[in-house]
Amino acid sequence: MNDTAVLGRSRAMVTETRHLLFTVSPGAAWIILFLVLPSAYLMGVAFMTNGPYGLPEMPLSLESFRQLAGFGFLGWSPGNLYTLLRSLWQTVVATGLVVVVAYPIAYYITTCRARWRPIMLLLVVVPSWTNQVIRTFGWMNLLAPGTPLSAAAETLGLIAPNMGLYPSNFAVTLGLVYNFLPFMVLPLYAAFEKLDTAQVEAAQDLYATPIKAFWHAVFPQTLPGLLAGVVLVAIPAFGMYVIPELLGGGKALMLGNLVANQFSGGSNWPLGAAGAILMLLATFAGLYAMRRIGKRLGGGEEVVI
Amino acid sequence: MRKRTLKRGLTGFWWLTLVFLYLPLAVVVMFSFNAANSAASMTGFSLRWYHQLFANDQIMSAFGNTLVLALASSLIALAIGCLIGYGMYRHRHRKLGWLIVLIYLPIVLPDIVFGISEMAFFVKLHELTGWFKPGLGTMIIAHVTFQIPFVALIVYSRFVGLDPTLFEAAKDLYATPIKRVVHFMLPTIKPALISAFFLSFTLSVDDFVISFFTSGPESATLPIYIWGAIKKGVSPEINAIATLMIAAVALAAVASLAINRRKA
Repeated sequence: MNDTAVLGRSRAMVTETRHLLFTVSPGAAWIILFLVLPSAYLMGVAFMTNGPYGLPEMPLSLESFRQLAGFGFLGWSPGNLYTLLRSLWQTVVATGLVVVVAYPIAYYITTCRARWRPIMLLLVVVPSWTNQVIRTFGWMNLLAPGTPLSAAAETLGLIAPNMGLYPSNFAVTLGLVYNFLPFMVLPLYAAFEKLDTAQVEAAQDLYATPIKAFWHAVFPQTLPGLLAGVVLVAIPAFGMYVIPELLGGGKALMLGNLVANQFSGGSNWPLGAAGAILMLLATFAGLYAMRRIGKRLGGGEEVVI
Repeated sequence: MRKRTLKRGLTGFWWLTLVFLYLPLAVVVMFSFNAANSAASMTGFSLRWYHQLFANDQIMSAFGNTLVLALASSLIALAIGCLIGYGMYRHRHRKLGWLIVLIYLPIVLPDIVFGISEMAFFVKLHELTGWFKPGLGTMIIAHVTFQIPFVALIVYSRFVGLDPTLFEAAKDLYATPIKRVVHFMLPTIKPALISAFFLSFTLSVDDFVISFFTSGPESATLPIYIWGAIKKGVSPEINAIATLMIAAVALAAVASLAINRRKA
């Protein structure tokens, strides 16, 4: 073999590697330094002891996880467990409702004329461009005691007099559905747009009822979009902070509030960090589950966001 | 026959959903013109909250902070993210799994975990080094961290969409790498750079949770100011600032539609 050729090739490889390092390392270093290290530090904090000012101190212990499970100075209390269950319940209900609303909307947009579709999608997305705090504030105004919506709910006997629809668990669910609807409509719309209508026609030719035709011909085709939507909705919903804080009025706290309150009040960093670890585990478990389901369906690549 | 009923039902549902989506924003806009100091009933039209807005130093400084934060972080993220995007493209045949994981991390991490990790970390760093005092600086660092992935992915997908032979042609045309960057790369990815900048800017203005936890006492942005005002008991001025922010978004929406139309 020609020595200079080998030398040339290895020199080219060195240049390529140098190029890779030059382009990639500033960003990689930034994310490692300002996100990976901080997260690692936070995980460390979870295993430390709570000091007198709410700041983490040595020695290492599992005290924060005991506290997260509800064990305190006064024995066991179910408060944290309720918060956790409420987070799960709110996430499941809100995601389910978002699917129920987004499905017909995404389908409807695909049935409209092509020139209208971008405008319709834009109309769905634009509210989510405004700040989350402002949107939630709008719902506070709408649901407060004395507003037309609250008055209507009162006459129907849905709520006690002068209570208002906010603050409540219901208001939090509504806020979550409102916040995440666009994240479900977009992937579902993409799935509907690619829908192979021949399959639906075949089902109809074989005298399938509309429900059967939907279940066997439409639903499987939109599943990748649905899964992507569930990931985009459920994961941030589970860690939501702003909406329960504003619309729940302190009575409908979720895991995000439990975590944040340990830091903003300066009360107990290790406990907050333990809650954050739980949230991370839930996030990665959710992502992993969706990937597995997506792969089994054969649409694995599309589900990756 | 049944098909037509379905279509009509769907049309009705569509308009209902639009009302659901725009009602909270409409209420905020409406009460910003309310003459009375009330969020329950409209008594008359007035611009007094807007006058108060411009006389309020805290709001004006929050507005300034929001702009400085969004501009500075977007520019830094554009430079860093653009480099990664190109690196990912050029070396796409190598095994870069770790880089993909790293880039997706800021996107999948829950906001609240993101925010408190950085807060705890900056507090510790400040204790150790005396630098990284919570304020605009730490907020810019945090915003750049969540903007980098979006810039990188937009720039990467623009490169993937290009004809690979273009790069060979550029090599023949321009002798030095610097000339290639200035005369070929930057002009070709200009649309991607513009949309990445606007997305970063919007993400920054939109963010509340991460800003909230990395901010200092002097560096409140508009969302942080609004949050504080809501928590203290609502002042009608909030409706006025919120309306201006909604107006900015509406303007951006119209602009994006116009740009799309021209492309088509």
